[in-house]
Amino acid sequence: MNYLLHILIMIGIYSIVAYSLNLTTGFCGLISLSNAVFYGIGAYVYTLTAIHLNFSFIPSLIASLIITGIIAFLIAIPALRFRGDMFVIVTLSFQMIIFTILYNWVSLTRGPYGIPAIPRPLINISFKEVGLKLSINSLFEYLILILLINLVFLSLLFILYNSPFGLALKSMREDEKVSESLGKSVFRYFLYAFVITGIFTSAAGALYASYVTYIDPTSFTIEESIFHICILLIGGSGNIKGPFAGVIFMIILPEILRFMGIPDTIAPNVRQIIYGFLLVILMFLRPRGLAGEYEIK
Amino acid sequence: MKKIKLFNVSKRFGDLWAVKEVTLSILPSRITGFIGPNGAGKTTLFHLITGNLKPDSGKIFLEEEDITGLSPWKIAQKGIGRLFQDVRIFKNLSVLENVIVSLQERKFENPFWAWTNPFYTRKIKNIYAEEAMHWLEFVGLENEKNKYAFELSFGQQKLLSFARLMAGKYDVLLLDEPTAGVYPEMIKKIENLLRKIIEEEKKTVAIIEHNMSVILNLADWVYFMNEGKIAFFGRSDHVLFAKEVREIYVGI
Amino acid sequence: MGALFQLFINGLINGIIYSLLAIGFGIVYRTTRIFHIAYAGFYTLSAYLFFTFFKVLKLPFFISLILSLFSISVSGYLIERFVYLPFYEKKSSSGVIFIASLGIYIIIVNLIALIFGNEIKIILEGVQPSYSFYGIMLTRIQIIQALIGFILILIFSIMAKKSKIIKALWAMGDEPELLISLGLPFYNLRKLAFIISSFFVFTSSLLTVIDIGTNPHVGLPALLTSVVAVIIGGIDRLSGWILGSFTIALIQSLVIWKFSANWAPLATFLILILILLLRPQGIIGTKKRIEEI
Repeated sequence: MNYLLHILIMIGIYSIVAYSLNLTTGFCGLISLSNAVFYGIGAYVYTLTAIHLNFSFIPSLIASLIITGIIAFLIAIPALRFRGDMFVIVTLSFQMIIFTILYNWVSLTRGPYGIPAIPRPLINISFKEVGLKLSINSLFEYLILILLINLVFLSLLFILYNSPFGLALKSMREDEKVSESLGKSVFRYFLYAFVITGIFTSAAGALYASYVTYIDPTSFTIEESIFHICILLIGGSGNIKGPFAGVIFMIILPEILRFMGIPDTIAPNVRQIIYGFLLVILMFLRPRGLAGEYEIK
Repeated sequence: MKKIKLFNVSKRFGDLWAVKEVTLSILPSRITGFIGPNGAGKTTLFHLITGNLKPDSGKIFLEEEDITGLSPWKIAQKGIGRLFQDVRIFKNLSVLENVIVSLQERKFENPFWAWTNPFYTRKIKNIYAEEAMHWLEFVGLENEKNKYAFELSFGQQKLLSFARLMAGKYDVLLLDEPTAGVYPEMIKKIENLLRKIIEEEKKTVAIIEHNMSVILNLADWVYFMNEGKIAFFGRSDHVLFAKEVREIYVGI
Repeated sequence: MGALFQLFINGLINGIIYSLLAIGFGIVYRTTRIFHIAYAGFYTLSAYLFFTFFKVLKLPFFISLILSLFSISVSGYLIERFVYLPFYEKKSSSGVIFIASLGIYIIIVNLIALIFGNEIKIILEGVQPSYSFYGIMLTRIQIIQALIGFILILIFSIMAKKSKIIKALWAMGDEPELLISLGLPFYNLRKLAFIISSFFVFTSSLLTVIDIGTNPHVGLPALLTSVVAVIIGGIDRLSGWILGSFTIALIQSLVIWKFSANWAPLATFLILILILLLRPQGIIGTKKRIEEI
């Protein structure tokens, strides 16, 4: 039972990641390799504010969103001047830079030693005399929390997907120059999308930190960024079913391998090899992914 | 009802003057034709007006407003619409969406608007769809509205790009070879469409065209460009008799 | 001052190794416009092929060298023939090929990790002899690195100037269609680009791993180094790639001297972003003339 709850929680965390990144990849058509930065900074800001400032869950989460938003903005300004290969390279560079900082700024992040004993979420809402104090400890309570947060964040994202803003982004994904000739500032709209992706991804990072209660920089490497983009490349992007298919596939596959009796020592490699093959085959036969709308250019 | 004026506009690519010291005006409620051999600088001229290229020298005015060197989206917002030479429709959007993108208001194309009016998005979509249908009917594509744009034939894609352009409600339209690569009946259809645009909508229209009969049928004034310069300017029924045009363009 | 000079010399030797890497990446990127991420996998594969022949099968050093060089060249041929070529014939977009290449990289690295495990493999045991010149300490391997690397770069530079085949490769990057209509063996030239690339990645990988050993994950940093070198120097020219390589090697030395080796990636990638923003054509690249609209 606990095992199933754990899987559902991971699906919950990664669906926030996938649907946020969907805005940048599926709607703007940009392959970003700095997504683990937002995930990581969300996790670190949550952890540091919770431990050093004794923030409860919601203030910590909000701090994560704000700080990651600022960093996403600072990354977007130079990165969005590029497209194609060079956009990938610039976002990748920021990934490497921020990772180096997380790893080496030992006085703040404890670097490779990581930060243990991150407090479990404590929800502390008071309005006039009525107060609510909830401590989330069991896996089940955790799942409920994640479901609620998914509900909020995914609704916000789905509203965007179906709004005039979403349609404008899609038109830019198809042909930026024409979109500009219709009076739309591609840079500004992409900036909104990229920053929103960053902010929402950081919420997933904060949830992750409070769930596993230990973080170190190796959870936020370039490999993690590649994993995020793979969710969308394999599942597909630009719509709602694509990222969902991606998350389910990427989270469930390891478990299927486990049931098939592949030993834990080699399972991660076998899984990665399957991802690799799938990427090559999908790119050849179906570049829009399993259930996506957007075909990468 | 706005006019465009260019003063001494030049653009150079390396050693090549694509456009050299061009001064001209494009007048409202008229169709102004641009003709000339390939590489004469006609498309570059359009790129300069729409801000896709920045002129090396000279000034471009929309009415009295200096628009030289503004970014393309700003120039579009000021009311200059543009039809590209190769039909560039949004291939993976539906026909209807192609038009909606063009007509939806910018103040609603904003994440914050969407979040503060979450229940209004569907309603506004319907309003836009109705308006978009009007323009699809205008070009005669109303039966294809739910198809993906890439499913349309080439001629239909051209019509769709007209609908998209019209939906943007621009004062000035710059059309780069609207009839290129289209079969004869479609050319007639596009000609009628252009006439309708000028008669019903009173736009300022500039058109680059290789098909001389289209120019003769539609244009009021014609600029003949060669090697980046205006070689001849006059009424369209005079243009074929001009010595410069005959020598370079007609070859006799 | 002595420490700085030592780091300067180390930087130069690293610059030579990085140049080999950059040539291997650049030759594919410049001539086929493929962003060859699997190059990182080839770097790892080179090291493990040699390790297999030399340490597992216990073949003599030079036989191992030849066998592994041969195998990696064949791999270069195979990846072009069975991965990139089908994509090319299908006219896939560059993004699609990029991701497929990423897939190949993931497969190679994890196969290696599956077979050999994740721990570090040492190829030459024991302390390497080192020599001292005027207060500069150089290990024997560093001298070998510098000599072999320098000779290879020199030979390739001369070939790039003289050889018609290499010139045809460059032309392929500019106008692939022109090459076909001129009747040049377009498909063979593509394969040649990958074989040359594999040769250079092999030499730089081997010169590094005989010194410090290898693990399955050494490829990605190597790829990134070569990408940065090629981009900051200028994609169009061989001299740009070499200049880029020495630039980052020396900057890294400077960072090690002033701060610590841990901060080196930060400097490398900051330089990359700055160059891309201020001089996107690279340090000695030439600006493209006509902007695309």
